[in-house]
Amino acid sequence: MAVVASSILSASPAALLAALAPSLTLAEPATFALWQRLLLLALILGSGWLFWQRFGRVVRRILAARKDADFQLFPLGRRIWDFFWEVLCQAKVIRERPLPGLAHAFVFWSFLAFALVTTNHIATGFGLGFLDPAGLFGRFYFLLAGVFALLCAVSIAGLFVRRFFVRPIWLAHKDNTISAESGIIAGLIFLLMATYLAAYWVPSGSTAALVLWWLHTLTLLSFLPLVPHTKHLHLILSPLTVFLSRGSFSRIPPLADDDDFGLVTGRDITQLTALQVYSCVECGRCTEHCPAANTGKELNPREIILGLRGYLNEYGPASEQPLLGRYNSQQAAFQCTTCGSCEFQCPVGIEHLPVIVGLRRGAVNTGEWDDDHGGKLFLALERNGNALGMAHSEREKFLAREELPAFDGSQEYCLWLGCMGGYDPKGREIIRSFVQVMRFLGTSYGVLRREKCTGDPARRLGNDLVFQQLAESNLENLAQNKVKKIISICPHCVRTIAEDWKAYGTPPEIEHHSEFLARHQARMPAAAPAASAGTTVFHDPCYLGRYRNVYDEPRSIAAASGTLVEAERSRERSFCCGAGGGLAFLGEEQGARVSETRVGQLIETGASTIAAACPFCNTMFRDALASRGDAAPQLLDIAQIAAASLPPAPASNPAGSLPNPA
Amino acid sequence: MSTVLVILEAKSGSPSRISLEALAAGAALATATGAQLAAAMVGPAAAMDSLGSLSAAIAIEHPLLDRYTADGYTAACAQLIARLQPDYVLFPHTYQVRDFAPRLATRLGRVLLSDVTAFSLDGNTVTFTRQLFQGKLNGHYHAAAPAPCLVSIQAGAFHAAPSAPTSIPVESFAPALEPSAIRTQPGEPFRAATQTVDLSSAPLIVSVGRGIKDEANIALVQELAQALGAELAASRPICDAGWLPMERQVGSSGQTVAPKLYLAVGISGAIQHLVGMKGSQCVVAINKDENAPIFEIADYGIVGDLFEVVPALTTAIRKAKG
Amino acid sequence: MKIIVAIKQVPERDARIRIDSSGRWIALDDIEFRMNESDAYALEEALLLKEAHGGEVIVLSAGPERVGQTIREALAKGADRGIHIASDSLASLDALGVARLMAAAIADEHADLILTGLQSDDLGLGQTGVILAELLGIPHSSLILKIEKTDSGLRLLRELEDGWFQHISLPTPALLTIQSGNTKLRYATLMGIKKAKTKELRTVDAASLGIDAQPGLLLDAVALPSRQKTTQMLPGTPAEAAAALVAKLQQEVRVL
Repeated sequence: MAVVASSILSASPAALLAALAPSLTLAEPATFALWQRLLLLALILGSGWLFWQRFGRVVRRILAARKDADFQLFPLGRRIWDFFWEVLCQAKVIRERPLPGLAHAFVFWSFLAFALVTTNHIATGFGLGFLDPAGLFGRFYFLLAGVFALLCAVSIAGLFVRRFFVRPIWLAHKDNTISAESGIIAGLIFLLMATYLAAYWVPSGSTAALVLWWLHTLTLLSFLPLVPHTKHLHLILSPLTVFLSRGSFSRIPPLADDDDFGLVTGRDITQLTALQVYSCVECGRCTEHCPAANTGKELNPREIILGLRGYLNEYGPASEQPLLGRYNSQQAAFQCTTCGSCEFQCPVGIEHLPVIVGLRRGAVNTGEWDDDHGGKLFLALERNGNALGMAHSEREKFLAREELPAFDGSQEYCLWLGCMGGYDPKGREIIRSFVQVMRFLGTSYGVLRREKCTGDPARRLGNDLVFQQLAESNLENLAQNKVKKIISICPHCVRTIAEDWKAYGTPPEIEHHSEFLARHQARMPAAAPAASAGTTVFHDPCYLGRYRNVYDEPRSIAAASGTLVEAERSRERSFCCGAGGGLAFLGEEQGARVSETRVGQLIETGASTIAAACPFCNTMFRDALASRGDAAPQLLDIAQIAAASLPPAPASNPAGSLPNPA
Repeated sequence: MSTVLVILEAKSGSPSRISLEALAAGAALATATGAQLAAAMVGPAAAMDSLGSLSAAIAIEHPLLDRYTADGYTAACAQLIARLQPDYVLFPHTYQVRDFAPRLATRLGRVLLSDVTAFSLDGNTVTFTRQLFQGKLNGHYHAAAPAPCLVSIQAGAFHAAPSAPTSIPVESFAPALEPSAIRTQPGEPFRAATQTVDLSSAPLIVSVGRGIKDEANIALVQELAQALGAELAASRPICDAGWLPMERQVGSSGQTVAPKLYLAVGISGAIQHLVGMKGSQCVVAINKDENAPIFEIADYGIVGDLFEVVPALTTAIRKAKG
Repeated sequence: MKIIVAIKQVPERDARIRIDSSGRWIALDDIEFRMNESDAYALEEALLLKEAHGGEVIVLSAGPERVGQTIREALAKGADRGIHIASDSLASLDALGVARLMAAAIADEHADLILTGLQSDDLGLGQTGVILAELLGIPHSSLILKIEKTDSGLRLLRELEDGWFQHISLPTPALLTIQSGNTKLRYATLMGIKKAKTKELRTVDAASLGIDAQPGLLLDAVALPSRQKTTQMLPGTPAEAAAALVAKLQQEVRVL
């Protein structure tokens, strides 16, 4: 900058005047001496060599990792769309953090615009420039790039101020420091834009133009080797990462072979995981939304990814060193509720859940994980077939008491009770209400006698053995009973049956009761005005929202209990209740309870009713609300809200007050 | 005349209550089969002075039997049985009997009929009833082998007769025992050092839930627990609120308990709690909500305001205990 | 140390109990089978001893073909090999008959230690282990909570009644029956299951062991107990309800 300023100041007054009013033509140096060309060539080679020194290592590490056994490139349509929407349009980046997102988008788009400009810039140095600054297209394109350069310069300055002066905590490292490298990179980008724009203020062919050209070139060539050394590697890798995603949210890949137990050592890291790990831009969106990180746990999803990167950098993908050790901790891996916020938010296409669940698989499938609660849970699933370790006869008693018919193939739906609906008193209330609605609608349903846990907690905690046993046993039972359609009150059951069971067979069609209720809403009586006098806040269950993309259906049901208000974190930004990932069954010892934090957020809305659509959320909130005293809002499942609008049940079948058949 | 021999177990020098129940079972069996009743016990003759009417009372005495060992008791009882030739040998079903009686039966070429709750006479055959599948099924057995038939009697299955002076003088029986035949070296019995709180082995537990409303009210339940001699426990919300320490939490994220009595005060019965106490032998619930799920698994229920019921119960228990 | 763990496969604990047409046993058609609970603790103790002192853990189980699955489970949890005494008619034997089969099947093993669970969840006899000790002529101790290896043999923690405990020393070879609940059971892992596939499981035909099958005890019939658990509500004023409860606690629950 100083050089530009002095060159302008040393010019004549007329030139100075001309300089203040920019020309519409970008100034280019007239000619380059041979030594200049040789110097340019040497600098390019040097910069490229420095770049490859680092980047080549990264590429080799990624390629040396194990192949993703289940990866399929086709169909391409979805990949192209994701690339267009998330990379080219920057949709995710902007949507989740609008202002900084837009600033980032401008930087990105100007880089795109500069692709041609930069090529021409370097070509000019060898006398091979192909864009004529005075020509129609050249003038137009340089001006367009100029507009982007201006937006980019303003944006990068803004982002610089945000990072170093506003200092959002999630941008900081574990030790709460912010590394200077981002500042240097921001400075270089700003300089690139400034040296480009300044060329509109100097005469073409002037010394000043030459100085600006060289300044721009030197900035560019120092920027290049820095890219693979810093998080700006995402510039190159993340478009590829987004394009090569595993294809569905929170997808847990199948184990490759008999020696694959999940992520145990470096040998288990796959190419996609390695690519993703090197793509991390350390933006901290994952951490910002993580319920564990927000409640004082050790788990920080960004550090999980950076931990793997650290591992790959030190040991490489062929190492036998355990992954849970220096770079990642077992405690952190088992604090994840698998709410999926991190993966959902990640702008560079990192899939955190396969990594976190993969680390758990590695620890559980080999017996390394030793946890009192976890062991008890697995034994309960092994021995009792339900996560609560309850006697099967308890479920039978409930079925008899509620007169729930057995599924015999003649009914439309198999009503899946799940562990909560079958054993938990609160979950049973939800079933009772939902059955009232189905009876009112005349929908036929039946319950499987030997239903077992879907295996969700085992799946998320990484116990492939128990999960497989449960999935296979249930699939066989469903097939024997010729079940075509399942309906469930539990989003975890829905997700596990619909997606995770695919590893072991073809599950029947399944839907969540919110979808069913919304579809039949027109046939339901309107809620009594008194019932909907207050306000209601709906809590989006992770496994219904982010996992299944169902947001509006439950809201349409919940609205019957009061005017809907939204929590600050809602819909796809909803904050977990703390139960997912099997954590409902583990002790939550570190930090604040996720459930308490979430209940606090929901209470802040001032709503008189909290509407839930998941029995796990329900039970977590129930405990958390207990400490809030009598003023706490009431907690209802959407099935209970729907049932409240029904006329009193006919005397022959008053569900919930049936005489004990014993 | 055939003989029913009851081998009693001494507890602090005299026959234990469950031994006297076994003796009552023996008396009933002797009456039913027209046999005479004999009793034997390891220990001094003086301890057997109030066993009522017997055909023989035998004190088994030997220095090597001062402390129980399976080897010693097996050898001594085998010699006594060889001498008396009884048709039936009855034992109280105690931990000690479970330890040596199967060995004794094997030495005699028989199988012990363990943990019997009842018997009936069907013609000449005595049918014994014992529980299968943790009490979910009764099995009816008879002995196919020749006498003697060895049977252990479950605690509480028979009522002990009121104590009466032993009808005949107590004989002493000194078995021939060699120190080398006793292979185990038993140590002095001891009670576990009282740990901070070990709910899992507590026989009586009073547990409090969020129905208690306020920390200050915990004292009310504490008094009840004291009167009952029970450990105090709580559901998770109480421990989360810090009203009681975490180590007293019962449930999926706390301790799993299996007491004889679990008295749940103001606990509605969330699943996380139920899974921690479902093994309790007897559950009593006090709750103001008659629909509270805890009543589903309770043996006894009181629907009412705990602030009235608990003090009334504390008073009643104190009165009952004198 | 060479340790044999005798385990039994039993109907799952909360299986629905229905009496079969013979009236002498429960219907097994709709039943899932599990490793007997206290046997699982015996296996755990054996594995802990092996981890601490080295040696070999052999699981031994008798029964029909389905028993193989429970032996595999034990192999998956870390046992080194299995012996399956194959018999479809174990029910016709009493505890002595079963113990004789076991004694014959392991006669050549010369184990240092034999562990079993305290009792089975189905028959609840609690005798097979002790009988086996007598048949093998080795000392035994029952209701064991903790095992320590010493220079001369073993030092044990044994549970007595009413919260009392006792240390016992005994020489090896010996047989111990293990009380449930004192250690944490390990869960079966995928890696364990895969490793178990390559471990030796020797099947011994029960008939080939030459044991006389005349039982001394016969199970003639089974019946469901008449009383089922119901909730008894105690009505009245707080004082009345309290008095009624105290009466129940004294007479029926017998804790006062």
